[in-house]
Amino acid sequence: MFDNFLFLSSASLTIVGALAVVLAPNLMHACTYLLTALVGVSGLYVTLSADFLAATQLVVYVGGVVILMLFAIMLTGGNDNKSVNKFGIEKVAPMGNAKTFTLAGFSAFVMALVILKIIANVNKATPKAEMAPYETTVERIGELLITDHVLAFEISSVLLLGALIGAALIARPRRREQ
Amino acid sequence: MMNDNVVSFFSDSPPYQMLNEKLSWLLNFDTSGMLTFVIYFVAAFVIVNVMALVGGLGTYAERKISADLQMRQGPNRVGPFGLLQFLADGVKMIMKEDIIPKTSDKYLFFIAPILCMVGVFATLAVLPFSSGFTLTHLNIGVFYVLGVSSLVGVGIFLGGYSSNSKWSMLGGMRGASQIISYEVPVTLSIIAMVLLGGGLNFKTIVGAQGGMPHEWFIFHNPFTIISFVVFFIGMLAETNRAPFDLPEAESELVSGYHTEFTGMRFAFFALAEYVEVFVVCGVAAALYLGGYQVPFGLSSMEVLHTKIGLPMAPAKMIGQFLEIGGFVTKTVLLYYVVIWIRWTLPRLRVDQLMTLCWKYLTPIALFNLVGVAVWIYLFNGESMWNLVFKTGAAAAGHH
Repeated sequence: MFDNFLFLSSASLTIVGALAVVLAPNLMHACTYLLTALVGVSGLYVTLSADFLAATQLVVYVGGVVILMLFAIMLTGGNDNKSVNKFGIEKVAPMGNAKTFTLAGFSAFVMALVILKIIANVNKATPKAEMAPYETTVERIGELLITDHVLAFEISSVLLLGALIGAALIARPRRREQ
Repeated sequence: MMNDNVVSFFSDSPPYQMLNEKLSWLLNFDTSGMLTFVIYFVAAFVIVNVMALVGGLGTYAERKISADLQMRQGPNRVGPFGLLQFLADGVKMIMKEDIIPKTSDKYLFFIAPILCMVGVFATLAVLPFSSGFTLTHLNIGVFYVLGVSSLVGVGIFLGGYSSNSKWSMLGGMRGASQIISYEVPVTLSIIAMVLLGGGLNFKTIVGAQGGMPHEWFIFHNPFTIISFVVFFIGMLAETNRAPFDLPEAESELVSGYHTEFTGMRFAFFALAEYVEVFVVCGVAAALYLGGYQVPFGLSSMEVLHTKIGLPMAPAKMIGQFLEIGGFVTKTVLLYYVVIWIRWTLPRLRVDQLMTLCWKYLTPIALFNLVGVAVWIYLFNGESMWNLVFKTGAAAAGHH
């Protein structure tokens, strides 16, 4: 009962948020809608009793990625809302040309097919069962990260180190050539 | 049951079970789910209202303490010692005209204060007031606090952006960059405590400490003292308190990110700030100062029930209230220190702020983390006092 309620509310939060992101004409607003979608996804993780993943979702996306996006939008100007076409309707700048739209549409189609294939299997293979009893996932994730998945872990830390050094290099005050 | 929480605390008691039986018989279905909901609702209602009151009293304390430090009177007209000043302020805020600037982004202007409030009040769900009266002891409590409190940064940034004013914009940008930067040393200091406590659950971390100061994590080993200082500085910066109140620097930015906000919207920002200070002081008390632990184990059933001989149910309640008292005392003392610092130290410059964070606090916090880990490995997680006592006992000929 409670799990169903949690699932339905987080799922609808995710879908409504995602739709609002796509449909919003203002990038800044779209970013705040993205916030709701991401919170909804973290709620979905909670219903799957992946507590650590849910909190990570909040820390990484809400605290980091969304603020980063807001900064990026702000620094690149966002949209000025002044472009109006000859009928007086607000013009939304197209985000690509015919080629990119065709490519994107094709890849979305392929992705949808793949996902449908996976979901079909899941529905066929496993009969509806009771959820496994709740247990915390923190220890297991920690163990797996430094045993089985240590390569991915290390590679991502090297990537982050590279990003950090790059940022420091760019932000560094340049010596004036005299 | 997923975790220990306020419902599991009450559901052990006989009155609850009796009520549940009666209701189930009366309504012809298992009412434990409904009762769970009701208890959660009442507990959340009480905590949110009490914390709003604490926020209000925080503004009063701020004025009174600042007046004390500057040899003034402070508020003394409304109620005894001016105690009801915050209520008068609340009425004033509600009565004020609600101004929305014409060129502002209305939607963002509307949600920015709400985001701040939501981010702060969501952390109350895991704030460990006592072992029983906490809304829930989440298994990832510490991590959860870090996650939801980052909403405050989004709120501050959007508040500055949506006002469409240069001062607000600068304040919002400063606020966001400051909060993101100081999250790094704060999180690293917290991770050191998580290592010592052996879990992300506040109950585990508090349970690993004791009631007396030498059993607290702050005095566990030399590294944790430094870690506490780093955490405290970072915490001041994350809540935008002086000497890190650059986002609302009066002398340069009028009032920073909330310059254009009036009435209740402004009150939301102010309330969120004061409650957030209480929350982070509470987190500091739980991580470093033994949280709700009471000296001599006074709050335990062992003492109250077995030794003093109180009946089961009152003993449990008295124990809980003693624990709340211990937690609130430590938190309020830290709150006092925060206000004291605000009225003592001058504000930092922006470049000094970033230098302090990235060139001093972050390396120190990293060093601390390694230090604590090495300490745990070398001394089996024993505190320095234990080691001193042991050496002393061995020298005195005790084997």
